[in-house]
Amino acid sequence: MTTSTSPQEILLEIKNVNKNFGGLQAIDDVTLDLPAGVITTLVGPNGAGKTTLFNLITGHLIPSSGTIHWLGKPLKGFQPWQVARLGIARTFQDLRLYSQMTVEENVMTVTERSSWLWQGGRQAAEQRVTEILTETQLLDKRHERAVDLAYAERKFLSLARIMASEAKLWLLDEPASGLDPRSFDRFVTLLRDYAKRGITICIIEHNLDIVIKLSDRVAFLDQGKLLAQGSSEDILKDPHLAAIYFGERA
Amino acid sequence: MIAYLQNIAVLFCINAILALTLNFIMGYAGIFSLAHAIFFGVGAYATAYIAMHASDSLLLCMAASAAISAILSMALALPALRVRGEYFVAASLGLQVIGVTIFSEWKSITGGLGGMIGIPRPKLWGYTFNDDTAFLMLALVVLGIVVGITALLVRGSFGRSLMAIRDSESAAQTYGKHVNAVKTLSVAVAAGLAGVAGSLYAFYISFINVESFVLETSILLMAMVIIGGTGTLFGPIVGAALLMSLPAALTYLPFLPPTELGSIQQIIYGLAMVLLMMFRPGGLVGGRSKEKSA
Repeated sequence: MTTSTSPQEILLEIKNVNKNFGGLQAIDDVTLDLPAGVITTLVGPNGAGKTTLFNLITGHLIPSSGTIHWLGKPLKGFQPWQVARLGIARTFQDLRLYSQMTVEENVMTVTERSSWLWQGGRQAAEQRVTEILTETQLLDKRHERAVDLAYAERKFLSLARIMASEAKLWLLDEPASGLDPRSFDRFVTLLRDYAKRGITICIIEHNLDIVIKLSDRVAFLDQGKLLAQGSSEDILKDPHLAAIYFGERA
Repeated sequence: MIAYLQNIAVLFCINAILALTLNFIMGYAGIFSLAHAIFFGVGAYATAYIAMHASDSLLLCMAASAAISAILSMALALPALRVRGEYFVAASLGLQVIGVTIFSEWKSITGGLGGMIGIPRPKLWGYTFNDDTAFLMLALVVLGIVVGITALLVRGSFGRSLMAIRDSESAAQTYGKHVNAVKTLSVAVAAGLAGVAGSLYAFYISFINVESFVLETSILLMAMVIIGGTGTLFGPIVGAALLMSLPAALTYLPFLPPTELGSIQQIIYGLAMVLLMMFRPGGLVGGRSKEKSA
């Protein structure tokens, strides 16, 4: 296995994690660290276990064995909402926007951690929502329902929500898939910008362009196993991994 | 004639409160409950019992009705809310059946099938609401308060949390919403306010029995919400006004045989629902289309 070491603080530590669904081993003894400020991309063919790994981190699934530590503390027994409040947020492949709510409400509700009527820092939250909508170029759509947006705008709304979460770690599930080239460039610029501001990002992506343009590090999964991790050049040049990725297994 | 209209207006207020509170969970939280009539009934029986055995104070009876309905709803909602969508509908149907059975069998508290007769009119700071006009004013004030509470809740962070949960429970969890707590609280608020409607009803009618709290009542309330517009503040009020005035309006059509009015009313309800779902699924107050394909 190709490995690279990093001197940065480890935010998330996945150790010997397994996940079985009956007889199916979806995640097979995966050990992976996510260092602070590093953009890690998870690549691999369909069914490699990438989204399952996200679900295990966020508490949507419970590991069959192994441990996941966040800032040195185990995440065992945490519900998804508790994991979110610790500073881990994610997007979904199918976006899961709040479809009947307006663009502004979609973002505003993420800034509101509690559901109490009286929220502190209301003005600051409104200002932050405006900033985020400006950054994602959704400000003129703020009063439109999410369901009425065009596809690229929905993708940016999904990104706007995670921007509003103030999470330290973003888990992005195929965030740029289906974007036109201009939107894609805008998307990559935004992610780079947030990474520079100290956000740690882990992306599941099939688009090799985004893997090359964004990743500091690539982790390659296949059939639930972590086969390799390292720089994007190292991983993408490996003929064995390329054969697996493009479905040309021996 | 005025007394007749006053009667309809009071019953409209009570039904509008019930439709508003059902819409609170159905339209904003996406919880489809077929047991709303039970919480209406709990409120009515609580008020009847307290008014007949302890005190006819309006505030005491209403507060007790709201509290008992809310607490009962939490006890029942906690296990039921663990299931989603159509499973919750089935669970709420079970709750409705259990509730009706308790109302008709727990004779020492509810009077059984015969119900409770002779509930006194309420008193507020020494004033007794014996006059129907005064009672109508009271009903309008309570409706106004319930509209205010609902508006405050749905237009703030709590409402946004509810709608987020309705649109995507998993995404709401992912962004830190304690879904079970918010859903349970919303059911408790809706049940508590339905209990207030029950309290008004018991005081107004002065006789209650299980007939008023059966499944048909829950379905009628659901029809009010759907026809008026789910997830809108004023839709349920419009729905309640329409469905409450329809029977009265039909009696003024001389060519309709009086014995068939009930059946004609049911056909009109059904037709209205079908046509609305086809041409205006958002309801009369809601948008033309509820969902656009993704």
